[in-house]
Amino acid sequence: MKRLFVLASTIAMTLGSGGAHAVDAAAADALVRKSKCLTCHHQTKEKDGPAFAETAKKYRDKPEAMEKLTKHVTVPSKVKVDGAEEDHETLRTDDPAAVKNVVEWILSL
Amino acid sequence: MNARRGDRLWQRVVAAGLLVLATASGVAQAREVNDVYIEGDKVCTRCHDENEYKPVLSIAQTRHGTAADGRAPTCVSCHGDSETHINKPKDVEKRPEPTINFGRKSTTPIAERNQVCASCHQGGKFIHWQGSQHSAADVECGGCHTMHTAHDKVRDKATQPEVCMNCHKEKRGEINRPNHHPLREGKMACSDCHASHGSAGEKLMQRDTINDTCYTCHMEKRGPTVRTHQPVMENCAICHNPHGSVNDNLLRQRPPLLCQQCHEPTSHRGGIPGFGDSRGSFNSTGGMGITQGRACLNCHSNIHGTNNPVDASNERTFRR
Repeated sequence: MKRLFVLASTIAMTLGSGGAHAVDAAAADALVRKSKCLTCHHQTKEKDGPAFAETAKKYRDKPEAMEKLTKHVTVPSKVKVDGAEEDHETLRTDDPAAVKNVVEWILSL
Repeated sequence: MNARRGDRLWQRVVAAGLLVLATASGVAQAREVNDVYIEGDKVCTRCHDENEYKPVLSIAQTRHGTAADGRAPTCVSCHGDSETHINKPKDVEKRPEPTINFGRKSTTPIAERNQVCASCHQGGKFIHWQGSQHSAADVECGGCHTMHTAHDKVRDKATQPEVCMNCHKEKRGEINRPNHHPLREGKMACSDCHASHGSAGEKLMQRDTINDTCYTCHMEKRGPTVRTHQPVMENCAICHNPHGSVNDNLLRQRPPLLCQQCHEPTSHRGGIPGFGDSRGSFNSTGGMGITQGRACLNCHSNIHGTNNPVDASNERTFRR
């Protein structure tokens, strides 16, 4: 329920703000590290998960990018790693602004 | 002829099919990963790379990660096989910790954690660990040492006191007193006097006694001297607080109060310095106190012991 609230709040903030503000890359990087995203992802290199730069390339021009990525980083899901199903963990924050900042940072890579 | 052509076509179709299958299976194959710093580390470094929130890979910057040293451990040497950590079981929600894990939230008993270190670090300066104060208090090696960093704070003279004083807080207060050993200034470390891994002496002293430890620097106090001051021979800490004091020379109390803890007040208390009593004696017990204005050490300047032959008639005076 809490995660859904974060997701809804983040999307609402995105729609409301018009997306015209600078990304705090340092804060996004710190949160991503704290949340252990970099165990499976890398900014530019492929690890068990796709590189953030690849994700950005894939979603940058898609209108549903914010919504889709926000859901991916806030709602637990399953992903395939080497054919085995693994839990995809979420960002360790309850702050919708921080989540939004991370998603925007990824899309800016 | 047509049959042969048909065979070839069939062979090509099969070959193309196999190629497609091989390509498809290649996608599903495990990502190829290589060891990063030491043989066999890829099972860990595939995830734990240079981007970790708490640096893990930086172990390669330490002696533990020196691949050229045949004794250097691998990840599993210290953390165990960690099968369930590597391949998370399906029936658990959270990935289990490595078999042997360290830190404040560790689920591994301290004795077991310390045993990992003791499997290599034994003998030498670790010979007295068993039964030492730190061992008895269940202090874990990782409580003081940081493994995955090039700079282990406790092994650096400048930063070591900060680590020790995380627990020994009263010593932090003492070294901040006006008179102190130069720990604050980075010229000394706790380990100059104390053997934190255990010692044959009291107070985890580097030498067998407090005095022997003090004499390693203050050798002029060791003697031997013709006339000895017994507390000096017994324990420097009877008069001095080695960590710090508000009194000069790290004394526990200001003379004459310090001296009079042992020396009865009948000898020198009387008499204002420079003024005798009615009989002209400066040592009168009926006077105003010869020592009130002057510390004992003004006259008894060789308090640690003297070889002065002049004082043969009163050999306990320790005067020049």
